[in-house]
Amino acid sequence: MNGAAARDSGVVHGPELIAFAEAAIGGDDVSLARARSALRAVLTPEAYVEVAAVIAAFSVVDRIADATGIPVDEMMLAMSGEVRTALRLERFASSANTRQTA
Amino acid sequence: MDVLDYSPADVPIRDDLRAAHRLIWEYLARPGNWWTGAERVAIAAEARRAMSCPLCQARKESLSPGAVGGTHATTGALSANVVDVIHRIRTDPGRLSRAWFERVVADGLDETRYVELVAVVSQVTGVDFFCRSLGIPLFPLPDPLPGPPTRHRPASAKAGTAWVPMIAPEDASGPEADLYPPAPVIPNIVRALSLVPDAVRLLVRSSDAHYLPIAEIPNPAARRGALDRMQTELVAARVSALNQCFY
Repeated sequence: MNGAAARDSGVVHGPELIAFAEAAIGGDDVSLARARSALRAVLTPEAYVEVAAVIAAFSVVDRIADATGIPVDEMMLAMSGEVRTALRLERFASSANTRQTA
Repeated sequence: MDVLDYSPADVPIRDDLRAAHRLIWEYLARPGNWWTGAERVAIAAEARRAMSCPLCQARKESLSPGAVGGTHATTGALSANVVDVIHRIRTDPGRLSRAWFERVVADGLDETRYVELVAVVSQVTGVDFFCRSLGIPLFPLPDPLPGPPTRHRPASAKAGTAWVPMIAPEDASGPEADLYPPAPVIPNIVRALSLVPDAVRLLVRSSDAHYLPIAEIPNPAARRGALDRMQTELVAARVSALNQCFY
């Protein structure tokens, strides 16, 4: 999640997926073109489009969440607490929206 | 030629994605609850302008965005405080704060117009990132449709733990009876824009096409088909980490 150890994630084509997501969100068109080629070499066209759709979906919901100050739902917090701690997500300023209600 | 031209991607685009993008573009163009169609399209244009704004770039690189002064590169169609809100949400959403939001409201942008603005900026950002990811030029923004905003504020929206009032699922009735999909849990992300109910309806439709139907999200086996769930969640988590989104 933090970009490191994508090769060890156990996710099929994890490194290519991570590189593509980073390049799509970042502003470097050269990196994006390179990451796109690498991803298209390992995914079907349908899967490649689905990756773009997920990037779009979370570009939307991240902004909605952070612009409205919603806290993480209790059930999600219970399920993901350890992972959040391991990934040090509390370093994000938006964690304050949940800390204030936890 | 269809204004939503996917041909540069050189891959088939699912019908439900095309439909979702048409829906989003129609949403942008028409009058909303609090903004006119022309204002909503102007908000979308300003959100795009933010991507090349030197002030936004400088703020993003600074430890504290508030420490960097200056004026935004803007289309000029909206007031300065609205422009600042749009630029912040588009370029640096992870460092927004309750204090910042309260200042925005105190400066004259009431919470209803704010929520609708969030919806517009967020949805056009999503479509833009879809295009960028696939190497498609950004779709031209739609021509605005005439007419006044509805000025509908749902009576059941209540202040709570978020910065903005929201409608609890148990309170969704009357005009909002259809607001939330049938699901065991309605997470806060679905409730977040409920002060502007049509924004929620749009979010549910667009999320269904781009990610998963709300009711299926808690099911770890749920997947759209082309990617497995782990791949989907890896991409989602990386995007959210890059956006510094704790939620």
